[in-house]
Amino acid sequence: MVKRKLGALEKVEADLPNLQHKIRRDPKSYIEDFRAQHYQYESHREIFMAAPTSATDTGIISLRELIDFVAHVADCYPDITKDFPQQLMDILTQHHLVLEPELREKIVGSLVLLRKKELLDSATLLQTLFPILITTPSKTLRALIFQKILMDLRSSNAKTTNHKLNRTMQTVLFNLVTSDRVSSKGLWAIKLIRELWKRQIWSDAKTVEVMKEASLSENEKVIIGGVRFFLGGDQEREEMEDESSDEEAIDLGKVKHQVGINKKTRKKSRAVEKAKATVKRRERKKNQPHPLNFSALHLLHDPQGFAEALFSKHLQNSKSKLNLEQKLQVLQLVTRLVGLHKLHIMQLYSYFQKYLTPRQPSVTSFLASLAQASHDLVPPDVLEPLIQKIANEFVSEASASLVATAGLNAIREICARQPLAMDETLLQDLVMYRKSKDKGVVMAARGLLSLYRDLNPEMLKRRDRGKDASIGLRSGEKKEKRFGEEEAGGIEGLDLLEQWKEEERKKKRAEKGLPSDAEDGEEEDEDDWDAWNVEDDEDSDDSGGWIDVQSDAEIDLSDSDDEKDARPSKKAKQDANDEENVKSDDTKDTTEAQKPSIANIATTRILTPADLAKLQELRTQAAVDALVPGAKGRRGQTNVSRHKDDPLTAEEIEGLAYLSAGKATREERIAHAKEGKTDRADHKSVTAKRKERKIEQGKSTTNKEKARRKNIFMTLGKARNKGKRSLVETRNVLKAHQERQKRGGRRGNVG
Amino acid sequence: MGSSAKKKKEKQKDFTKAKLKVGKAKGKPENFTDTSFKSKGIVLNQQSLTLSAPTSSTQFTHHVSLLSSKSDSQRRDSLAHLTTSISSRPVNSPLPQPVSVILPTLLPLILDANTGVRTQLLKLFRALPPSDIQDHISQLLPYIRAGMTHLAADIRVSAVEVLSWLIDVAGAEVVSSAGGWIKTLNCFLSVLGWHTEESAKWSANRASFGKSGAKGQPMMKVLTVLAEFLHAGIGAPANEAQDGDMLDSGGVAGWEFPLCQTAVHMVPDTAAPYAYLNLFGQPRDEEGEMYETWEDRYRVFANRFLPAIQRGLENARQEGGELGRASSGASKVLKEAVAYGTGIAV
Repeated sequence: MVKRKLGALEKVEADLPNLQHKIRRDPKSYIEDFRAQHYQYESHREIFMAAPTSATDTGIISLRELIDFVAHVADCYPDITKDFPQQLMDILTQHHLVLEPELREKIVGSLVLLRKKELLDSATLLQTLFPILITTPSKTLRALIFQKILMDLRSSNAKTTNHKLNRTMQTVLFNLVTSDRVSSKGLWAIKLIRELWKRQIWSDAKTVEVMKEASLSENEKVIIGGVRFFLGGDQEREEMEDESSDEEAIDLGKVKHQVGINKKTRKKSRAVEKAKATVKRRERKKNQPHPLNFSALHLLHDPQGFAEALFSKHLQNSKSKLNLEQKLQVLQLVTRLVGLHKLHIMQLYSYFQKYLTPRQPSVTSFLASLAQASHDLVPPDVLEPLIQKIANEFVSEASASLVATAGLNAIREICARQPLAMDETLLQDLVMYRKSKDKGVVMAARGLLSLYRDLNPEMLKRRDRGKDASIGLRSGEKKEKRFGEEEAGGIEGLDLLEQWKEEERKKKRAEKGLPSDAEDGEEEDEDDWDAWNVEDDEDSDDSGGWIDVQSDAEIDLSDSDDEKDARPSKKAKQDANDEENVKSDDTKDTTEAQKPSIANIATTRILTPADLAKLQELRTQAAVDALVPGAKGRRGQTNVSRHKDDPLTAEEIEGLAYLSAGKATREERIAHAKEGKTDRADHKSVTAKRKERKIEQGKSTTNKEKARRKNIFMTLGKARNKGKRSLVETRNVLKAHQERQKRGGRRGNVG
Repeated sequence: MGSSAKKKKEKQKDFTKAKLKVGKAKGKPENFTDTSFKSKGIVLNQQSLTLSAPTSSTQFTHHVSLLSSKSDSQRRDSLAHLTTSISSRPVNSPLPQPVSVILPTLLPLILDANTGVRTQLLKLFRALPPSDIQDHISQLLPYIRAGMTHLAADIRVSAVEVLSWLIDVAGAEVVSSAGGWIKTLNCFLSVLGWHTEESAKWSANRASFGKSGAKGQPMMKVLTVLAEFLHAGIGAPANEAQDGDMLDSGGVAGWEFPLCQTAVHMVPDTAAPYAYLNLFGQPRDEEGEMYETWEDRYRVFANRFLPAIQRGLENARQEGGELGRASSGASKVLKEAVAYGTGIAV
């Protein structure tokens, strides 16, 4: 017989992983072996399918291994394994209830593997897995399948958006939610969408439509899932984005340095490549324009219809099964929609009437919702009774300070959105609460006061109006806004830009001296020059009247924390007048001159990119300034710092209630006082701190430290040896000692 | 030093003598070993203690249950016991347990890793009454096919032996059962490595076979069984016709003129006469279909396997030696079949 060539499998132990490895390397030569194993798989499958429930352990194990094997090398022999995915799907869909758990997981894993190898398209895979996700009673299987579905959707949307797949999947989810509104199966749709929304894989109107249907379902869990999505989904998305953007920064220099020093292996060089690619990708990402993401609330097709449906179905309906907490969430969503889209649901306001008593549980949430629901297109006479009721129920000397605070804050928030809802006498009454003994109430009343100083000072008593408001009234700048009146649109922060330009120009003038001013010879400069002249004229006229107002206001406002208070009021009046004179010059520049110049800069000039960049910078600067506590920060809190889209929370209504005396326990007060202070426990010497830091960073110790830490028994022998030293050694030791003495110890005195 | 004093005290503690007290239990000796243990369940490993010896049928059932035991020798011994009890039972008496009960436990043993178990299993199979086997072909075949394509060559060979026995016992049923024809032939091709042109060559890398015992032997055995299989499937139609004629003379078919084709109208004598309708099973594809008549089988064979098998046999013949001799049997069957097939076609 001719000597046969020995096959690799004959030489070594033949097992599936080994064969799999060999097939990967050389699929063509091992086709016969694969074919045999495929038949083997077929036979085992046949045995299994004949009696899925009574399959033996060994049979299941071998089937599992074979499925694993075939799935791993299926891409090498697409023609032999063309039925394989379908077979797996059949097993799974028909028998997933009785399958042994490990086999089940293996089948799911293999299907996903086949999807990765492109032997199976995503739509088919998802259509197989999704029904199982919904029907299976096994928790582990559900978790696995959910994760796999999510992963598949992510990966198929990784490079480009897979519109087709997304559309089919969204339709499936939509049908799931709408088909059976009573069952809780819709939860899976919500869970999936929420996750995908968070990762910005799905961010279109259709997704929002599914969630809208979910929040209109009959099942409480599904309803709340949908409502929560609208209330918190976008925040979640932002947080996720922040997280992903500041994930571990790769120090490329460090990586390169390490490679230069350490042993060079292929693995390490690959790691460097990878790091480089990551850094490059991040750079590119940084330069890309920010993707425009609309919030879910903005993507709704018919907010009015949705809000009305939510309100009538879950809140007004007496048969609704939601508990108070859930109702509050729905209410929050409805009111947010109303506030954001300026919707009109008139029954909503009368609905609130019932809940506005201090004894109502979580009344602050109701108050917050009410404030959210008011906007400037709500008829004032609808809101007026509500405000009246809040004032009557909450704000009185007899009621607890916490209650009064909440009431005042709520009124302020409502009036910030619809100032016309306030009655003049009531306002003056409420403003009086700033003389209250309780700090929380004082702050709340002051908030209301400053709000109306800003919006409609005429409603306040003369002495309550304050300086700015009085000037505004006098110059006709501060007028009551009529119902439905819209402000003419401008560019946000344009006044800041103008102001900045003015300052720059001034600086230049100061550098050159006044005469050089004329040299510029440009129109704008001349305009400014004129304006400046005009201001000068007005200044002399106005200053007398100004002082009168100021002297009145000053006494009343002594408790407000504006920078004006810093000035001692005991000063002689004449002195004050002088100061005011000087001061008024500055304020003139900023306030009076603004009005014409804003129009100027927007109409007479073309903003260059440099201008726009500066504008952006100034805007952020202003935003930062507003956040810094102190002089100007607090004043416009309700209007400036909060974005229109942000929700109003119960905490904001509660406000500074924690400042109310007697309500906080001692521990709470201590905790409050300690807030923001560093821990005083770790008072240590500089050396100790340094040492600690060194240990923290994992740095090594010096020889000296090592010597100091040495076990005494290890050093005893050496000490004993002293007597046995040779003459030379003794001399060296003595010499060294003398040397040290000169230097001043081991560490030395110098340097 | 503090620490050494402490250590001294601890050392002293080891040598203190425990005082005996009245009414108190005596202290445990120094070399005491705690033998208590905790367990969720307690299995009594004792034989059941009955005075009368267990009947042969209980013993039989017991050994059937032992077939799924973990230990190789236990399985082998049980099989041996079953074999003897079956073969030594009185003539014409029924089996202690029906075949349909024993078979599900026996079948996985076709794929057993231990050679002794498999040989013993084959002996047991041979001891079973042939008539009982015929109804369980569809259960047996998947296991045999799984064995024929197993990674281990030993298992492949013994699976082929089992198939040989099965053809002996119920050849016609094997080839006409669902999936029995195409799938089994596929397995043969895969065992022999004849699927493709280049893999059939003698110089090809035959990783699939060999490795067990003598080099040529497994291949020879497979070739012989292939010849048997082909014979059962498409060979010697003349004999069957003769059988039919003989039956005709004796059975209902011999009845007189006004009655013709009588056999068709009688109550069928097979266990599942309407199996081909596949009323209750999964829908079958082409490979899993039943090919009940000679013509069907030949058509499929000629379409799919004829070239591959001819090529393979030719190569085997050229290789010469024992292998060539073994191949000649198969080629003879093939030639007859082809001659008959072409005759029909003409």
